[in-house]
Amino acid sequence: MSNFTWIDVSIIAIYFALAMFAGLSVRKYIGKVEDFLVAGREMDVYLGVASLAATEFGIVTCMSSAELGYKYGFAGAVAGVCGFLAMLFIGLTGFCVRPLRESGVMTIPELFEKRFGSKIRWWSGVVIVLGGLLNMGVFLRTGGEFLVIVCDIDKQYLEITMTVMLVAVGIYTVVGGMLSVLVTDYLQFLVMSVGMLLVSVLTLVNIPWETLASTVAANYGTGGFNPFVNPNIGWTYIIFQMLVNAAAMLTWQTTIARLLSAKDAKTGQKVYTRTSFFFVCQFVIPGLWGIAALTTLGPGVEPASHAMPTFLAQTAWPLGVTGLLVAAMLAADMSTDSSYMLTWGSVIYNDLMAPFRKTKWSEKRGLAWNRMIIALIGLFLLVYGLWYPLQQEIWTYLTVTGTIYLASMSTLLVAACYWPRANSWGAAGAITLGALIPFAYLVFEAIPATREAALSIGAERAGIAAFVGAGLAMVLGSYLKPGPNVRISS
Amino acid sequence: MIDGSIFWWYVTTACLVWFSTVTIYVAIRGGLDIKHMLRRLKALEHQNRDK
Repeated sequence: MSNFTWIDVSIIAIYFALAMFAGLSVRKYIGKVEDFLVAGREMDVYLGVASLAATEFGIVTCMSSAELGYKYGFAGAVAGVCGFLAMLFIGLTGFCVRPLRESGVMTIPELFEKRFGSKIRWWSGVVIVLGGLLNMGVFLRTGGEFLVIVCDIDKQYLEITMTVMLVAVGIYTVVGGMLSVLVTDYLQFLVMSVGMLLVSVLTLVNIPWETLASTVAANYGTGGFNPFVNPNIGWTYIIFQMLVNAAAMLTWQTTIARLLSAKDAKTGQKVYTRTSFFFVCQFVIPGLWGIAALTTLGPGVEPASHAMPTFLAQTAWPLGVTGLLVAAMLAADMSTDSSYMLTWGSVIYNDLMAPFRKTKWSEKRGLAWNRMIIALIGLFLLVYGLWYPLQQEIWTYLTVTGTIYLASMSTLLVAACYWPRANSWGAAGAITLGALIPFAYLVFEAIPATREAALSIGAERAGIAAFVGAGLAMVLGSYLKPGPNVRISS
Repeated sequence: MIDGSIFWWYVTTACLVWFSTVTIYVAIRGGLDIKHMLRRLKALEHQNRDK
């Protein structure tokens, strides 16, 4: 970037140093596995709001929301509205999340063991880790691409940028676990918010609202404002987004980790209610930047996800704004990566390794294993991020890979909490069908011979089929093998 | 204003206002939450050591 000055570099360096210091300074409070994975269950409401918002918004979310704004106009933000409604409903009613928190578990599969047995716990863990790791596999490359474009770094340094980011995040996550994640999330939320708000206001000052709206109208007509009449969105997309978002609020490991780290169920519900509107912001604000990119660069930027960072790079911001923007996006990405590595690591340790811990492990041994797992996840991210070429919209990839476990886990959670008839056969059927359909879709889409057929079905229909299939399998399986009426106890 | 853009103007304004307010609120209350959380964890650590 031509206007990238030493002031910008200083802002980024100060942020980076503060984040590392904050992350490493709390390591002395980590004495037990519970401290490491759920911060000793001492999290209060506002720290929870900061942490949840910072975790759920990374560079990948920013780029995917901006891509939707660039390709579909304002209507692209409908997914955020779905997320808001789902989280608000769950926060207000405590649907599933109250019994989940009151059960005292550290992960969702641990809860399933109480209802469906140890095998279902293990298989749930497998599906959660598979879906979660595939999902976060694209985070690093997307984040690296954003930074390379905005900072005008030579593309040959993409891998180095990715590695530096990952190592920095890995160090404090490995050392301080959830406690480091929460404290750095707080700092990162503040930096991210200030940067995003400032860039949004300056964008609106540079490009008047009327210009943005007429660009959307000229390119997409009414469909740019109304998702129901947009040919690329429509009812199927919205139904799928409602299902995915509701399931994510109930079972997405990083979201649930905040609920399980909360002081009690009531605090967890408050975190949900008060964070809910952030899901509209995380689509509308970057979506606005995407529309600004459409206005200044015009349609046809390929890939569309690069339009927003190109717009940010080509705009002449006041002194220091670029530095703040890059620090904000680094903050967004670091908070997401750290939390994802920790929470998926927690499922590997707590659930996948459960059969290997026949005798109780010492806290020291447990902590050592957790730290090693996080380091290995970091290594996986680096390798996967380097070789996997993203073939679809970022948001479509995220929702389809997420559905691998969201469809089955949400079905199991609802059944575990509210359907006494549910049993292990139903759970096994739901896991199998819920994971198989989206996984098959991804495979068919990747193979050239079956790609056209997969695209004609569409990611949304495949996703809806996964939810319907998981639900039907749960009902049929449970009726085929009548199980005992078990309720979850605290 | 173009039909349809009015709704999104309100949504965008609500986002900017909500985000600014929550940032200030969380900056103050979140900092206090961290302070209390670390204090409780320290007290728990002392209790465990005394046992």
